Amino acid sequence: MCVDKVRFNSILHLFFCLALCCLAPAPSGAQWLDYPTKGIPRTPDGKANLSAPAPKLPDGKPDLSGLWLGDQWSPAGRRPNPPGNARSSPPEMLPWAQKVFDERRASQIKDDPEARCMPQGVPKASTLPYPFELINASGKLVMLYEMYSLRREIFTDGRELPKEFISPSWMGYSVGKWEGDEFVATTAGINDQVWNIDLAGHPHSDVLRVTERFRRVDFGHMDIQVTIDDPKTYTKPWIMPAMRYTLLPDTDLLEFVCEKNIDPQHMVGK
Amino acid sequence: MRFSLAAPLLFSTLVTALVPARAFAHHSFAAEFDARKPVELKGTLIELEWVNPHAWIHMEVKDESGKVTKWDCELGSPNLLMRSGWRRDSLKKGDFIIVNGSAAKDGSNLANAKTVKLADGTRVFNAGSSGDAGTPGAPVQ
Repeated sequence: MCVDKVRFNSILHLFFCLALCCLAPAPSGAQWLDYPTKGIPRTPDGKANLSAPAPKLPDGKPDLSGLWLGDQWSPAGRRPNPPGNARSSPPEMLPWAQKVFDERRASQIKDDPEARCMPQGVPKASTLPYPFELINASGKLVMLYEMYSLRREIFTDGRELPKEFISPSWMGYSVGKWEGDEFVATTAGINDQVWNIDLAGHPHSDVLRVTERFRRVDFGHMDIQVTIDDPKTYTKPWIMPAMRYTLLPDTDLLEFVCEKNIDPQHMVGK
Repeated sequence: MRFSLAAPLLFSTLVTALVPARAFAHHSFAAEFDARKPVELKGTLIELEWVNPHAWIHMEVKDESGKVTKWDCELGSPNLLMRSGWRRDSLKKGDFIIVNGSAAKDGSNLANAKTVKLADGTRVFNAGSSGDAGTPGAPVQ
């Protein structure tokens, strides 16, 4: 009897839930692809006002939060280089690095671990045709990458990078601080399985230090200037061409899990 | 006015041209496919496989003698396709499709789809993962 009563209650509960589901309003968009972002500046026609001033954090620093996509991947195309890009400089590789780089180019970069769905490392992960989200949290800035669902924590609680890394990682370890209106993140401890620090195929060593200078130009635009400091690989620190991003409003990150990756077995290179 | 529109377009095209084509996929296009080996595949959709890192078209192609061959055609990722407005039901099993793309270097019945059209010429996925302007899921250029 008791069991029957439990079953009856369960069925009643199920019907109640189904009824609630029927009463609930239908979602306005497809999953989270086009869900309106609340509280953002908009133009009279309802579109996000990408040229509105950059939002501020309570302490007056620019708020970097939002979904960002590299300009070269957006329909509007890449904006011209910012004036500061004059500082960018080509890498001058040490002989071993040049040899590795040339071999990679000759083999069409077929052995890039990314093709096996391994994490891209820093800064390469920020150069891909998928958005990343920046989220302010207590004592850290969190970066969530859509591609391969990776994440980074950039600690802002005043800690220093460790002098040694007992467990170098794919995405490294990052600390950040404000220098005026620029957020400066320094990353080290990137493991030797990260093969290339950029899409071109440049190598790195265990002493790599990546400095990313984030600058939110206005509500809809952000630049990141990246300096590569790796004395075991390059003759001197070099600055990558400016990475420019546009905000993606009214959408959210999608999950990206490599469920079925058959490419590596067909990658013959030359 | 015309110039103000054309200049950024030209610039972005130039910049895009400097970016390796592999950048659009999660792997090197040239390591797997041969842009000098174009293929045109006409046949029936067996399945649109909606999986990351690449969606796949599995199709049957019948030659003049009536022999049926199965081909697998790589598209962009479902994430990129969805952000471009395409869905897992944009193609249905049994649809007659025409795929233009590049064949795999290893000689298998594998291709990278550049354009996918229905029998009436309608383009689906606005065109592979190779990074061409018509790449499904790739940004419009």
